[in-house]
Amino acid sequence: MSSDHIHPEPTTFLRKHVFSTDHKVIAKQFLWFGLIWLGIGGIMAMMLRWQLANPGVPVPLLGGLLFPRTGGVIDPASYNTLFTMHGTIMIFLGLTPAMIGALGNWCIPLMIGARDMIFPTLNMLSFWAMFAGGAVGFYSLFVPLGATEAGWTGYPTLSTTVGGVGQGETLWAIAVFLIGASSIMGGINYITTVIRLRAPGMSWMRLPLTVWGLFLTSILNVLFVPVIGSAMILLVLDRVFGTSFYVPASIMSGGTGGDPILYQHLFWIFGHPEVYILILPAWGVVCDLLSFFARKPAFGYRTSVGSMVVITVLSAVVYGHHMFTTGLSAMLGESFMLLTMIISVPAEVLFFNWLHTLWKGSLRLTTPMLFAMSVIFVFGLGGLTGIYLATIGTDIFLHDTYFVVGHFHLTMAASALFGTFGAVYFWFPKMFGRMMSEKLGKWHFWLSFVPLVIVFCIMFISGYAGMPRRYYDHTSVEYLRPLQHLNVATSVAAFLLGAAQLIFVFNFIKSRWWGKPAPQNPWDVGTLDWTIETPVPHYNFKTIPVVQCGPHEFSNPVLGPDTDWIYQTEKLPD
Amino acid sequence: MSMLKTLLPSFALLRSRWLGCPLALMLTSTWALAQDKRWGPGEPASDYGDRFYDLFWLITILVSVAFALVVVLLVIPVLRDRARPGHRASFDHGKSLHDKRLTAIISIVTFIVLDAWVLVIAMKDLREAYWAIPDAKDPQTYRVEVLAQQWAWNFRATGVDGEFGTADDILTINELVVPLNRPVSFNMTSKDVIHALFLPEMRLKRDVNPGAINEAWFKPIKEGDFTILCAELCGFAHYQMYGKLVVLEQGQFNEWEAEASRLASTAFDADDTEAHWAWDWQE
Repeated sequence: MSSDHIHPEPTTFLRKHVFSTDHKVIAKQFLWFGLIWLGIGGIMAMMLRWQLANPGVPVPLLGGLLFPRTGGVIDPASYNTLFTMHGTIMIFLGLTPAMIGALGNWCIPLMIGARDMIFPTLNMLSFWAMFAGGAVGFYSLFVPLGATEAGWTGYPTLSTTVGGVGQGETLWAIAVFLIGASSIMGGINYITTVIRLRAPGMSWMRLPLTVWGLFLTSILNVLFVPVIGSAMILLVLDRVFGTSFYVPASIMSGGTGGDPILYQHLFWIFGHPEVYILILPAWGVVCDLLSFFARKPAFGYRTSVGSMVVITVLSAVVYGHHMFTTGLSAMLGESFMLLTMIISVPAEVLFFNWLHTLWKGSLRLTTPMLFAMSVIFVFGLGGLTGIYLATIGTDIFLHDTYFVVGHFHLTMAASALFGTFGAVYFWFPKMFGRMMSEKLGKWHFWLSFVPLVIVFCIMFISGYAGMPRRYYDHTSVEYLRPLQHLNVATSVAAFLLGAAQLIFVFNFIKSRWWGKPAPQNPWDVGTLDWTIETPVPHYNFKTIPVVQCGPHEFSNPVLGPDTDWIYQTEKLPD
Repeated sequence: MSMLKTLLPSFALLRSRWLGCPLALMLTSTWALAQDKRWGPGEPASDYGDRFYDLFWLITILVSVAFALVVVLLVIPVLRDRARPGHRASFDHGKSLHDKRLTAIISIVTFIVLDAWVLVIAMKDLREAYWAIPDAKDPQTYRVEVLAQQWAWNFRATGVDGEFGTADDILTINELVVPLNRPVSFNMTSKDVIHALFLPEMRLKRDVNPGAINEAWFKPIKEGDFTILCAELCGFAHYQMYGKLVVLEQGQFNEWEAEASRLASTAFDADDTEAHWAWDWQE
């Protein structure tokens, strides 16, 4: 199928490193881009935690620089901007490029035996659309009246001119639109590449589960990102051209009567699949890494794929659980409650398969493995606490409290982030031709994992105690004052978590240029990406490989006692 | 199957101090937490407030058991199945009929225990309590119109004549006075952006949307002063949009209502359009 899919190697610097159409270069561009934004979003989180633990105390180091007018103190409007941009950045400019952009571009062609993505130019455009979105978002921080303060969800009418007339919100909507365009371009490319460019013998049931996760994510991207794109267009029209899609008549005299709830539907029709857009690649990576480092086949490959497909479908019909307090009709509320709860069944099958993959394995506790295993723990905590929020009776009280913050950070943020870390540690040797330090990697893991669990578990307690989210200062409310020590404890753990990421930065930079040169296959893994030499040549595969077996034939007795793995290009001995 | 067979002897590992203790601690602490109604906003002051705790407690037990299982099954292989010379992983794709049956059984058990059980109780709570808006024609029902704005709560009660939009309507800002042991029913809308009425002690939260009227209700069962908060981001002073809810015993309430109505009538100005935002009660 893919034998003649060749384009010549670029010769100029610009075409080789900047406007490259090579999926490997684009993957690295996405990775650097995503990691830098994760850093910026992370610093914003640190400032938020500073304000919550020490309300009204100047931020050390950065405060004087960023908030000169208040002497380094975060003012309430800036606080709103910070958590809005923290959310937007982490989701759209951090995890999306680092997880889907980098991992998808790196893994899909190499793991399915293709020479490049099927649409290389579209692939390049996908990165530069994302870059433009990031640039617009970054610029919005410096416009008069400041960046958006309407929350990452951007609910009208707060996000329309009723809530504020600055350019920040408009630029935010444009940035989200551009990033969405990038995701759609990437999604079309990934789907078509997986369908069309699989090497001979690479049947659907021989695909590494990482590719399955990315494939399903791409389907969600292509189907649901256009919905938020349209929501953003309507928002920009409302803000700039004076339409009133979201502005009800009772507010603006002469308005034709829009509906702010329309936006909430559009936003969450996209917003809920977005959770799975971020977590599905992580699940795929976890499925694979657990098998690779437990030296056992991925238990129940077909049921894992089936569960991910079912979750992909269900993710489209549960979005209403974000709107239980909005004023949904009783019938809609109950239907969404039931549908949301059903997700626990395929999720449980995945957990069952993951734990069974580890069971009686031969566990190599490398850094990627530790991150993969921690996803089981972290996603377990996050997923199970979702039941409180899917149940309307408990959600009424817990909605918009820190319980929700803890829940979604553990599920979509921490799980996706730890999946990304696992993937980076795992593919780094192939990507950059050098090994990352295992010792630093393990320090990074433990100093991230423990504070992370502490941070978000305390949030469950404060949420249970009724602490509302998006509050600039909790000590302004009487019954929250005795709970201030919870905020302090959360912040201390959060600072530790933030500091631990410096280990990763150091390890990444040092290993990138001065690390130990990596062998071709440091992990003894049989997927196609490890069959080729390091660094990967421009065309990836000199001859398109022929796939003879599945990706997880570990410890197969037919391999004999000397080895416990086999390349996918090799035939299993009889 | 291999998993089940080996599971039972492996529980011996639970006796090891460093695994068993944290688990026991986790379970007992979540239990204790779920049992303590004084935490945060204090014991529920509305008649349906206890339903939140009953359900929260039930879910906590269920998910704690599920999570403990996950942790045990995660930790056992780490302790027991590490790579070492001469040790080889068992080869199992999990494709056997037996594995499929086990997957199906666990799925069904998950659905019944984790989902259906909670779902049935939640539905019952919704119908009997949260969404059982009291009949507005019943004279027992105390009706309040709420108009939220950046950043204040405007409340309007009918006053002694029982009609909205008349001279004796009681208008208050950031303070709501209601009678004890009578259902309080809200009609709510917003002047500008979306707010959410949050009465933590009453376990009530409902969005207040511009351009539409939302309903909510509660029945206070305790006298005293309680908290009114905004739970939906509504701008930079969101965190300061709080008020006071005062629950008075019926006799005291009647005195207060008569006096407030009288004062409202004396200050009534028919030309003040800003003050006449009442609407016909909607059910």
